[in-house]
Amino acid sequence: MIMDNFEFAPAPPQRCPEAYGPRANNNQKRCFQLAQAFFKDGVRRARERNERQLDLERRLEDPAVGPRREQLWKLGGMSEAKYLRFLRTKEELSNYIPIKTIGKGYFGEVKLVRKKQDGKVYALKRLAKTEMVSHEQLPRVRAERDALAESDSEWVVKLYTTFQDSTSLYLLMEYLPGGDLMALLIKYQIFSEDITRFYAAEMIMAIEAIHNLGFIHRDIKPDNILIDREGHVKLADFGLSKGFSKSHDHSYYRELLQKPAPPNNKPANRNSVNLDEIALTVSNRAQINEWRRSRRLMAYSAVGTPDYIAPELFTGQGYSFEIDWWSLGAIIYECLVGWPPFASDNSYDTYRKIVNWRQTFFFPDDVYLHPNAAHLIRSLICDASSRLGSRGGAAEIKAHPFFAGVDFNSLRRIEAPFRPHLESDEDTSCFPVDELPQGEGFSNGPTNTNGTNGHQATASNFQEEEVTPEMCLPFIGYTFKRFEKTFM
Amino acid sequence: MSNLFSGINARLRGATAKHADKDKDSKPPASPTTKDGFLASPISVKKSKSSSNLVVSTKLPPLPTSPSLSQTISLSATGEEILASYRLPKPYPLWLNANYAKHIVKGNFMTLSARPKVVEQGEWIAHQVVEHWRNLWNFIQVVYAKEQDGKSICNINTCPKMSAGPNHSYTWLNSRYEPIELPAHEYMQLMQRWISGKIDDQKLFPTDPQTVSYAPNPSIANTTLLTGGDEWIGKRSGFPKDFASICQTIFLQMFRVYAHLYWAHFVDPFYHLNLEKQLNSCFCHFILTATTLDMLKPSALEPMQPLIDLWAANGTFPPDSKAYEYANLKAGNRLLQLAGLA
Ligand SMILES: Nc1ncnc2c1ncn2[C@@H]1O[C@H](COP(=O)(O)OP(=O)(O)O)[C@@H](O)[C@H]1O
Ligand SMILES: [Mg+2]
Ligand SMILES: [Zn+2]
Repeated sequence: MIMDNFEFAPAPPQRCPEAYGPRANNNQKRCFQLAQAFFKDGVRRARERNERQLDLERRLEDPAVGPRREQLWKLGGMSEAKYLRFLRTKEELSNYIPIKTIGKGYFGEVKLVRKKQDGKVYALKRLAKTEMVSHEQLPRVRAERDALAESDSEWVVKLYTTFQDSTSLYLLMEYLPGGDLMALLIKYQIFSEDITRFYAAEMIMAIEAIHNLGFIHRDIKPDNILIDREGHVKLADFGLSKGFSKSHDHSYYRELLQKPAPPNNKPANRNSVNLDEIALTVSNRAQINEWRRSRRLMAYSAVGTPDYIAPELFTGQGYSFEIDWWSLGAIIYECLVGWPPFASDNSYDTYRKIVNWRQTFFFPDDVYLHPNAAHLIRSLICDASSRLGSRGGAAEIKAHPFFAGVDFNSLRRIEAPFRPHLESDEDTSCFPVDELPQGEGFSNGPTNTNGTNGHQATASNFQEEEVTPEMCLPFIGYTFKRFEKTFM
Repeated sequence: MSNLFSGINARLRGATAKHADKDKDSKPPASPTTKDGFLASPISVKKSKSSSNLVVSTKLPPLPTSPSLSQTISLSATGEEILASYRLPKPYPLWLNANYAKHIVKGNFMTLSARPKVVEQGEWIAHQVVEHWRNLWNFIQVVYAKEQDGKSICNINTCPKMSAGPNHSYTWLNSRYEPIELPAHEYMQLMQRWISGKIDDQKLFPTDPQTVSYAPNPSIANTTLLTGGDEWIGKRSGFPKDFASICQTIFLQMFRVYAHLYWAHFVDPFYHLNLEKQLNSCFCHFILTATTLDMLKPSALEPMQPLIDLWAANGTFPPDSKAYEYANLKAGNRLLQLAGLA
């Protein structure tokens, strides 16, 4: 046998990607990532499809189904087919009719929209690509998309699809018409202990749900706690959330801390820690009112409010799931007291107070708190290692005497304290729509805090060749489509 | 020896050619006329070193799956002889070296292309066409896109013809339905335009959720049986009559591009750009899907037959797949042996 005849052409001694031009190398990256993403998504979808088929067959075997078997089979097949068509459909902004702008952050803008194809309303969140790139927020948008896409919990806002065009990323979510907890706090200023217990208990369930998925939210605060049409809570805004496995990233906060204190119209406060520490007492209600007026605007700004963030996130010593329980403590405090524990008139001072929480945390003298409530808050606003929830997770907090008698598993079935009164499916009365720029389309880029930028999105300076938007390199794999039995 | 085997191959082809002959008179699917004046009908194949001239059927004939015939081949010849019958250049191309035929995914590829029983066949084919087109498009762009200086990796000098090795080149039909030879770059341009035109056509690939259907379940007594007579794949879901044949043509076109990418560009650029495993996985998934759905006939696979043999032999293709059935295990095992893996 003459083996020589059957030799293979030799592989080049080494790979030379640098021998190719920038376009080829750019296309290489896209191709590499998309192939990866294709198989990852493909395997997940195939697995879910299989489970649905098996589930359907199991249900058909149930004798009680009887004459409805054919109907079951038919509906099963049709929902699979609708999903396949949904996967083929090109998602674009023009598939939606904008109704109103209902929310705003620095990178994002949330609009109530109506989908032309099914006539239903949704909340559509838009993130500007240029901003994401220039602020290096890519891990944040990935985190949000992944957390929402992977969760299938009644405690988390449902994400239907994500798509993109040359300027923006979009998240299509269920519309929660009840507004957010911040709006309720602005309206009522203070909650009774019973009402506080209800929201606290629901927040525990929501935080537990995302922790079970392996995500740390990292940005639990009243404007990210949404209220559904029944008045129950759902968690939103996973822009900062982190899968636990990934490396911890505190550079974002470190950067914030390194910034000089913002120019202040009350310069005396800036260098005077002591002054601030006593600032928020009863004697200083005026300052609280000032803080209340500006809190929405704070939510619109780049850094957002640090009021609810645990100290270990700033110091960079590492953190874990229990940072979300600190935030819960801060919100419970706010519900009962009327303002969050470290409120200041600028974020810089809030940061300092949080880092020095041992000296700065206190309950105001003139607000009566039940000892159980005060004890719960103190068990959450404390050192990470001794924080309630740091060892036994949510169960530890649920077992606190403050929640005695609460049946956590039936929470969503009891009547919520505030149920939104809705006139139609496009009712936005729970949202600060008057404060927000109400342009026809999405406004272009981040706005300043007085919100004057409301004109139509124009062609951006984001340069990508004649390439379909989902191929834009940094955002590959962003596009997601959920299977939804009742979607269409 | 090699003559004997090309004879058997010809017989195998003869079986398909019968269907093709029948359809020879039927017009190719309606296609948009391009700027260049070509009627973009990508449906003819010219085999430069073989007398048989295949025209791709525009109907959906049952594909020959004659196990006895393939057994004849495998019983009477050694792997080496079968390989010789392929008339491959020597040394063999790098992509036939099993050490370079590896993947970015593990496990059974068939889970990705298996149609759920409730889903109607036409709907599933449409889904697969779009998925595979998106995949292939990314690879095309790598060789097709022009750099600042106007040069692309696949150009008139590197690839004056749309070919897949020394034995196969593909032609395009011009407006008078005459087959013409084109540089690969130009061919791919026409082909991309033609396929995108089809996929974006709502009449061909509807996305309206209102018109969906399902696959009837024969074990459920009440299910209305198909009305006899005028039936076609996808009819229940609102796909047009020529849907399946157009999809066959799309799959065939995609196959030709894959074949060109392997024969002309596996090393330059895909190996150099670290994309050969990605290419392998996408092509492997493509072959399994296209054969399972009867979208590619065994005869069309010829330029890539040795790689298919190899993947059958090394366990990449599951034994119950059509691709495995179309493969020649002896040839594949021989390739494994030559690569020092058997
Ligand atoms: N699905 C939704 N339904 C109703 N309102 C929403 C929804 N998602 C967000 N909002 C509103 O928009 C605001 C900003 O959205 P969010 O996702 O928190 O963006 P950001 O990252 O800019 O804070 C929220 O505080 C809330 O009031
Ligand atoms: Mg928010
Ligand atoms: Zn070429």
